[in-house]
Amino acid sequence: MLRQPLTRALALSSSSRIAPLGVRRYAEALAQPEKVEVFIDDKPVYVPPGTTVLQAAAMVGVEIPRFCYHERLAVAGNCRMCLVEVEKSPKPVAACAMPVMKGMRVKTTSDLTKKAREGVMEFLLVNHPLDCPICDQGGECDLQDQSMAFGSDKSRFTDIHFSGKRAVEDKDVGPLIKTIMTRCIHCTRCIRFASEVAGVDDFGTTGRGTDMQVGTYVEKMFLSELSGNIIDLCPVGALTSKPYSFAARPWETRRIDSVDVLDPLGSNIVVATRTNEVLRILPRTNEEINEEWLSDKSRFACDGLKRQRLVTPMVADSRGNLTPVEWEDAIVAAAHAIRDCPPNKLVAIAGELADAESLVALKDLVNRLGGENVCTEQYFPMGGSGTDLRSSYLLNTKIANVEDADFVLLIGTNVRFEAPLLNARIRKAFIHKETDVAYIGPKVDLTYEYTHVGDSASIVKELATGSSNHEVLKRLQSAKRPVVILGADQLKTSEGSALLAFTQELALRLQDKLEDKEWKVLNVLQRTASQVAALDVGYKPGVGAILQDGPKVVYLLGADAGVVTRESLPKDCVVIYQGHHGDVGASIADVVLPGAAYTEKRGTYVNAEGRAQQTLPAVTPPGKAREDWKILRALSEVLGARLPYDTLDEVRHRMAEISPSLVAYGDVQNNNYFAQARVLAQSLQKPVSGKLDVQLKQLEDFFMTDAISRASPTMAKCVQAVLKQKQSPY
Amino acid sequence: MLSSLRSGVQGLWRASSRALQTTSTLQHDSLFVHRDTPEDNPNIAFEFTPENQQRIDALLAIYPEGHKRGAMIPLLDLAQRQNGGWLPISAMHKVAELLSLPRMRVYEVATFYTMFIRRPIGKYHLQVCTTTPCWLRGSDAVLKAIVDATGCEVGGNSPCGKFSISEVECLGACVNAPMVQVNDDYYEDLTVEDTKEIIEKLKRDEKPKPGPRSGRFASEPLGGLTSLTEEPTGPGYGLQDGLKA
Amino acid sequence: MSNIAKFLALDKVATFFNIIKQNGGIRGSLFKLYRQDELKDGTLVGEDKFGNKYFENPRYFYGRNRWVEYSDKFHMNYDGSQVPAEWYGWLHYKTDLPPHLDPNRPKYKWMKDWNENLSGTTGQYTPYSTTRPKIEAWEPKSKSTV
Repeated sequence: MLRQPLTRALALSSSSRIAPLGVRRYAEALAQPEKVEVFIDDKPVYVPPGTTVLQAAAMVGVEIPRFCYHERLAVAGNCRMCLVEVEKSPKPVAACAMPVMKGMRVKTTSDLTKKAREGVMEFLLVNHPLDCPICDQGGECDLQDQSMAFGSDKSRFTDIHFSGKRAVEDKDVGPLIKTIMTRCIHCTRCIRFASEVAGVDDFGTTGRGTDMQVGTYVEKMFLSELSGNIIDLCPVGALTSKPYSFAARPWETRRIDSVDVLDPLGSNIVVATRTNEVLRILPRTNEEINEEWLSDKSRFACDGLKRQRLVTPMVADSRGNLTPVEWEDAIVAAAHAIRDCPPNKLVAIAGELADAESLVALKDLVNRLGGENVCTEQYFPMGGSGTDLRSSYLLNTKIANVEDADFVLLIGTNVRFEAPLLNARIRKAFIHKETDVAYIGPKVDLTYEYTHVGDSASIVKELATGSSNHEVLKRLQSAKRPVVILGADQLKTSEGSALLAFTQELALRLQDKLEDKEWKVLNVLQRTASQVAALDVGYKPGVGAILQDGPKVVYLLGADAGVVTRESLPKDCVVIYQGHHGDVGASIADVVLPGAAYTEKRGTYVNAEGRAQQTLPAVTPPGKAREDWKILRALSEVLGARLPYDTLDEVRHRMAEISPSLVAYGDVQNNNYFAQARVLAQSLQKPVSGKLDVQLKQLEDFFMTDAISRASPTMAKCVQAVLKQKQSPY
Repeated sequence: MLSSLRSGVQGLWRASSRALQTTSTLQHDSLFVHRDTPEDNPNIAFEFTPENQQRIDALLAIYPEGHKRGAMIPLLDLAQRQNGGWLPISAMHKVAELLSLPRMRVYEVATFYTMFIRRPIGKYHLQVCTTTPCWLRGSDAVLKAIVDATGCEVGGNSPCGKFSISEVECLGACVNAPMVQVNDDYYEDLTVEDTKEIIEKLKRDEKPKPGPRSGRFASEPLGGLTSLTEEPTGPGYGLQDGLKA
Repeated sequence: MSNIAKFLALDKVATFFNIIKQNGGIRGSLFKLYRQDELKDGTLVGEDKFGNKYFENPRYFYGRNRWVEYSDKFHMNYDGSQVPAEWYGWLHYKTDLPPHLDPNRPKYKWMKDWNENLSGTTGQYTPYSTTRPKIEAWEPKSKSTV
């Protein structure tokens, strides 16, 4: 079946054109044909055949201007900005679509090339409005920059009465993207992104000639979890960010490199701030994780960082109402409660946005007091090797390598909404590499075709024991680089440990037979950004059993998932909440200690593949809020169990003592001990009969999943808009 | 008195609004976005007739597996013919469904080609060629005759709903200028009288005879052939004797 | 006789007793002295709708010969703004006719009741900011209504 867009299928089937970007270990190791020599501005360069002139020029550092060409999208060749002179060619050629030929001499600075560029630029500008002063793209606009660099210095545009400048009606594509279609230069990047990467074929061109417009033809919202990326892709101001509209100019903002924590992948981001306010979040290229994309939640939930914040410590007064107090009073109140509590009745629960520093500090504090009850909200089965072996709870294949898989089996995980960029990788593999996908779980839309094996957990057992006669088993066994991804949500149930054991069994059986001994098959996709670090540090997953004992003090470290309720606690139990948002946790608390959100602190987060990354402070914590590990350090002082670190470096030193991988920023270790985990899990292979269900089924479930996105008005608007779109006949 | 005041005020208002809006519309006469109307909205079901269904099966069989989208234009054309000469949005949806394509891909094609008409039109679509050869031969008079006879503006539908007029560019019948295309038929070598007669017949739903009205069969010279009048010579004509054998 | 009395300042003594008497005996006078820091005798000119009483005694020099005793309901929290506009004029010698005797004083339906200055109390006017705060803090829900 034809999976690629037609342009790509016809002309661009050679893989060297698609992925010359990051050199990945598993990139097609085809026998490379002999390289050809081409001359760019008389500089010789050797490139593999099939490389385009534009790519060859980039190799010698010659940048050819372009609008429609984008290295991660199919070649369209319709903007004509990349025209260059090629010796012996009668006309200038489009560098982005022209494959190199032996001995080709390309002239990127010749008069003909310059004239061609000026001509193209003149045509583009004739029908482009001169509204740069009120355009949000101003300052980061490709058209502005390139007209400065490559355009003519004179204008022949004399129609100052505007008797016939082209104007196009704006489209409404949802609450995230603002369209000003008159500015569109028809590069079709958004169309190609929607159809190739996002897998939502809603954009296209309608009409022809001067009446051509880019849009959806019918009134329709762009129903994608990756929609924000077309804002970055748009080279002009036709598609801009609605929440960020008219907010700031790019040169006014300070940009701080950071890491996203709203999904388990830890996408790399740039936080743009001005006057101590987070204005927007942009993706930062990281080939190993997010390429240059970012999911809508990570990008647009940043306005949730300004709402519902805890800005001052609070203590419940005699009537039970939380009232603002000074830090000293709050810390003393918390210390009183903890001191009066026997260590085994003290329970610390870490939430989904907690950084590794505060996780370590909290665990050290509880241990120093003689307690052992530190746990996370997300459950993970402790049978067998439990969380002792890292391979049992990580994405061992690694996100980037999923692209090279030839068969992907998803078990009970809607990757599209749990980890949108991992899903984009799988889709990329599906489209460009003929990778096939099978899925066990309730039917969901993953944006690509998959074999639906069923939704019963017993299928996993049958696949693992080899008793299944489903074709998927044969496909898995014949695959050279299979990938099995298990959603961590499935492990919550009583059958979780058996399901994990069977998945391990299945993955290891496949892995043992592989020629490539380095390839890892088993993957567990965690749901939250903090879970991997918490398990690395030694937190117990899940709160179930500990709450049964009737704790006297519950210390919630940003625990907002709602697993702890007032009803499940004894009447006299004191709840201390430390976190940055007034959400589920703070509303049941007796003492509230305001912490910092991920844009306000230097914090370590370990993503689902076990890669430690750090956020950097972009703004200061609001009001009296403080960095989380410092709060715990201050509390330990009052409790008389002083934690032995005073600076962040000392905390990180302590983290390195626990696990060196926690401070190896950017690196990811290869996991081993699969065989041992498999042996230990052998006894857990009990029959399973339940149905697999995923929490996030539809797009409207995706937007509000944690304390930050629940506080975000933009995310709330998205949910409303998606629900409204579902009512529409289009 | 009052009415004259009102018209004066209106005149003033019109002048000022004209002054505000100076951009003329150099746009196409049809919209390239969809607007729901009572006649054209996705809630109006569209189904192919059983005969057309058979045609679709035959059309789809032409295209190899994986390239079925090649049948999009024939299918859209079939839908337009079935629907009385125009293409409603639900027909586009139906075609997308048949080809298992995203709807947008069908919208793109349907808006690109001007022969797919996306607004309700009359039973007879009169396309008057006004390009230079026809214009020189009097297409303006033909167009005026049609407009007068049908009471229909260019680019609109007649009050009776039977006719629609479009002014089109060259239809490739310049030797038989001026000409008019009515649905699938060409009416050529027209005079004003011919045109009126054609309209009258169409009003009575009779089908006028298509083709040239000047008595020509096709595009041959009117006064008979001026060259190649003699019998064609046989093989070997003019060959030197030495080569004859 | 009266000269002798004057000479002996007996009239002052009489005035003193008169003042004590008018202000409700020794207890009443001490209370008024405590509340108002002065004791005066005078003729009651009128009373407004808030219960403030207006007195006049030409024996005092001009500027002190008209005064107000604030209504008891204000207790110690009395201030000048509790005098309604119509009495203000009489009190400040703009007119010699007290409002209830002034026939020219207009009374319309649309006239609002006098309102005292609420600055410094919970009822005071506070201008609000029209700019949004950069950070909106979480307001805890109050658990009990008491």
